[in-house]
Parts: sequence; structure tokens; C-alpha cells
Amino acid sequence: MSVFEGFRFRRVLSPIHQLDPRVKFLYVCAVFGIAVMFNQLLPLILLFLIQLPFVLAAGVQKEWIRSMKGASFLALMIFLFNFLFTYFYREYPIFPPSSSLLEYSLAMTLRFIVLVESFSIFFLTTSPDRLGLALEQSHVPYEFCFAFTTAVRFVPVLAEEAQTIMDAQKARGLELERGNFIKRIRNYIPILIPLIVSAIRRSLELAEAMESRAWGATNKRTNLYVLKIERGDYILAVISVGMLILAVYIWLFMREQIPSLIPLITAQNV
Amino acid sequence: MDDILCESRTVNKTLAIINTSGLIYTYPGGREPSLVDVSLTIEKGDYVILTGPSGCGKTTLCRCLNGLIPHFYSGKLEGEIKVASLTVSEHSIYELAKHVGLVFQNPENQLFALSVEKDVAFGLENLGVPREDMRARVDWALQMTGIYDLRERAPHELSGGQQQRVAIACVLAMKPDIMVLDEPTSFLDPLGAQKIFEVIGDLNKKLGITVILVEHRLDLASKYANHVIVMDEGKVVLDGKPLDVFDSESARLIGVGIPKATRLYQALRQSGVYLNRVPVNSQEATLLLQEVLTRDRG
Ligand SMILES: Nc1ncnc2c1ncn2[C@@H]1O[C@H](COP(=O)(O)OP(=O)(O)OP(=O)(O)O)[C@@H](O)[C@H]1O
Ligand SMILES: [Mg+2]
Repeated sequence: MSVFEGFRFRRVLSPIHQLDPRVKFLYVCAVFGIAVMFNQLLPLILLFLIQLPFVLAAGVQKEWIRSMKGASFLALMIFLFNFLFTYFYREYPIFPPSSSLLEYSLAMTLRFIVLVESFSIFFLTTSPDRLGLALEQSHVPYEFCFAFTTAVRFVPVLAEEAQTIMDAQKARGLELERGNFIKRIRNYIPILIPLIVSAIRRSLELAEAMESRAWGATNKRTNLYVLKIERGDYILAVISVGMLILAVYIWLFMREQIPSLIPLITAQNV
Repeated sequence: MDDILCESRTVNKTLAIINTSGLIYTYPGGREPSLVDVSLTIEKGDYVILTGPSGCGKTTLCRCLNGLIPHFYSGKLEGEIKVASLTVSEHSIYELAKHVGLVFQNPENQLFALSVEKDVAFGLENLGVPREDMRARVDWALQMTGIYDLRERAPHELSGGQQQRVAIACVLAMKPDIMVLDEPTSFLDPLGAQKIFEVIGDLNKKLGITVILVEHRLDLASKYANHVIVMDEGKVVLDGKPLDVFDSESARLIGVGIPKATRLYQALRQSGVYLNRVPVNSQEATLLLQEVLTRDRG
């Protein structure tokens, strides 16, 4: 069950939560672009640090740390692969000459971490409701937006139901953890079938209820909520675009001057 | 000219808001019809209780009233239904939805938004109601059903009873002329059920909404009703005023949950004690018993 806890968005009021999802998405794209542009450690460290105030302002540190922990295994893999492969294939072409092998691998890992960081900020501070609304106001057809919010709404319900069915079948003597790999997968059939049947029944009832509440009455649908671009949104948009322009400028004219960190640190120590 | 106007007005007064004649319906793949020759007339402003044993076709009849049958369920439909002067088979479900609100038996699968107020607004959004009006109507519906404090909660995190109130608010916000409620208290304790019946009673009395309530717990619900319909095996077997229906022999044979007060009356009658009227709830029964006791003493 704990796996599904992450889907439950907790309604928190913070300036970051209030931001327009569309602007937040612009910000994620900007971070994404910058992270892909650079493969040196210094700019990526800066990019990582710049985002921390957002996490603190939104008050989602706990959830954020949890999602970073979830990403740490993958990050470790990325580090090892980069390190080993570039070690054994030294002639690897895009290798920046000034930095060491270690620094390069660290930078690649950090790039991944920065991407995870920005996406987790986005999803931790955007309610599915507002995300659906943003989709709707970006002229995504309403059917898709509705499907999206309904899916989010029913994930915990189906998870609960799966648990109930599992308990019921176990009480009737079903043993899930027995046999070899194939056997174990087949053990889940008595759980899957009732789950699918009940999901279909549920979706029919849902369709019935939607029809009864005038679904499809007009194609000029209105909405209870509306997203308005406010001052905070302008600020974030300016920050994102500014960061992007600065990054492009540095990339174009100063890329060669970015110092590599590890020689710097070791030189000081000596 | 005047004569014609006059006539149409008198006709309107007695015009039924729901009228079915010779309704026969078989679900796709069903062997026997689930509705057999159902002919009913329900007047504007009525508070109707529809009851009968499980599987007798109550839900099926509700589905006919808002057009789910024949538009959502195929199958074979004969006979005619007119609801709010619309012929159901000729109007789409969303047109009928402006006049008939249907609250389903299972509250869980009729709420699908991420917050209560969004769910209540769903029907209005579909109709394209402007946002300011929508806000006012949503708040009004939430207040009428007493769930204004829950408006920002997620519907699937509420209790069954709270969900049933939300389901009622969802339909109420659309301001229908007729509300059809299919066992809206099945998830509630007697006290919670009583509260729901009060809410529905208010809607009927204050707003003049015609109510059709499917219910087994007649003890609590019958206080507000002025019309009772009993179905059995797809047929309407009893149709009339609550007292007449509850006191009839066939109601007892079908196993309708006759109010305890009425049963007390029948028991007393068998042992030779006659109350002045047939009581349907305990308050009435108490009054009538007191009358009889003082009369006997005096
Ligand atoms: N979707 C369906 N498809 C086929 N047959 C159905 C369907 N729904 C109901 N029936 C059948 O129609 C008959 C009447 O069912 P209905 O649901 O109307 O009963 P009900 O009076 O509402 O019962 P309950 O009090 O248990 O809710 C039953 O025999 C049932 O098997
Ligand atoms: Mg039913």
C-alpha cells in the first residue's frame, strides 16, 4: 500500500503550490534544457542548489527527500556505468579534456539528480486537479483531461480493492509466495480476474453517473475553477527564462573557461 | 381565446409530471422482462416512496425515468414514458438531466472528481453554466445538504454517509424538477438516514421538487410521503396513499417493511381495539393510543 501513498497529493497552501502549473512546467523545461547543455560539474552543482529554496518554500522537504532517496539507486548505477565505461574506453569522444574521469562521472550523475529534482518539485507541488485544469486550459481535449483526473482519483481505490481481494483469496487458502517464478506469477491470476471484472463494472457505473449528469450536453463546457497568471507566476517565468538565457550565453562564449572542481580542490590541499 | 387559456391552465394543474403506460422492458440478454406492464402517474410536487423486494425492478424503473433506458442500456423497451412533458425515448439523457436528477444506489462510483465541490459542479460544467452562477449554485447545494465544510475534501476519503450526501448535492445543484433517489441511505445508520430523509423532505416541501425515493426502511421514510408504490417481480402491485397501501393485505404478503406503527394498529384491530386512524409513525401511534385510552377510561 505504501507504494500508492505517493499518489495521494496532500493539499498544502504555499506560494509554490499556488503557482500556475503551466509556468512551473516552463521552469522544469528550462532546468531540463540547462542540465542537458552542460556536462561540467560546477554549473550542475549550481543548478542543484538553485532549486533548494523552492523545496523549502513549498514545505515539501520530507516528500522531496523520499523521492531523492528513491532515485539514489539509479544515480549510483549511472555513476558506476559512466566511470567504468569511460575508464575502459578512454577514447570516448565527448570527454572534456580538462576534467578528470571522476569529475565527468559525477557530473553525469548530478545531471540525472537535477532532472529528478525539478520533476519532483513539479509533481509534489501541483495538485492533480490543477494539473488537469492546466491541461484543459492549454486546449487539450476535455476527454483526455477528464481521463487523467479520474485515473488519479481511482488509483487509491483500486489499490485498496486489490488488497481486499488479496486478503479474501488468502483466507481461502491461496498461497502467493510459493513455487518458482512462473508459478508465482500464475498465483496472481485469482487476484487479477476479480480485480479486472470489478474495474469494468465500476467504469460502467461511472459512465452511467456521468451521463445522468449531462455529460456532453454542450461543447462549450465551463469550469468551476480558472487558472489566472498572477505576480508570482510572472516572477517564476522571468527567473526561468533568465536562467535559460544566461546559460545559453555561458555555453556559447564561456564554456571553455568553466573551471573543473577536483583539480581545484586537490591543488588547495597540497 | 380566453377560454383556451383557461382550459390549458386547468389541464396543466392536473397534468402529471411523470406518466408511464404499458412499460415493458427486457435487459439485453435477459430472458424475462424486468418491468412488466408498468403504468404510473406521478403528480408534480409528490413525494413518492417506491418499494418492493430485492430484484423487483426498482432500479430498472429509475433508469427509465432519466433515459438511461433506452439510451444507455439497449434491450427491448415497449410502452411510453413521459417525464416533465418530454417523451423519454425521443430526448437524449443530457436533455432529460436538466429535469430529472438520479442519485444512484452506490455512492462510491458516482463521485469521480478530486474534491467535493468540483464533483458538485460537474453537472453544471457540462451544461455550460457561467462560473459566477455555478459558484453560487454549488455553495447553495452544499449548504442544503449540510456538507459545506467538506467542500475541499476528496470524495473517496469520506464516509459512506457523507458520500451519499455529496451525491445528493451533485444532483441538487442542477436544480431538477424531479429527484429520483435509489436507496440513498443504504450506507447509513438510522440516525443518519433520518437526517437524509429530513433533507429530502425539505427539498420537497420548500422547493416543490418532486421526489421519488426507493427505500426499504419505511418506518423512517413514510413520514414525509404522500404516495407509495409497491413493486413485485417487475409489476406494480400497489399504488396509492401511504395508509391504504400499508394497511392492505398484499403489502404484508409481499414482505414490504410495513411501519411498526401500522403493524401495531393491525395487531390491535385483530384483538378488537380500534384506533381512530391508521398511524404511520410512532408519534402518531402514541397520540392515537392516548386518545383510545382516555376514551376507554371516560
Ligand atoms: N444491467 C443489467 N443487465 C441485465 N439484467 C439486469 C441488469 N440490472 C438488473 N437486471 C435484472 O433486472 C431485474 C431487476 O433488477 P433491479 O436492479 O431493477 O432490482 P431492484 O429492485 O433495484 O433490486 P435491489 O433492491 O436489490 O436494488 C433483476 O432480475 C436483475 O437481475
Ligand atoms: Mg436497486
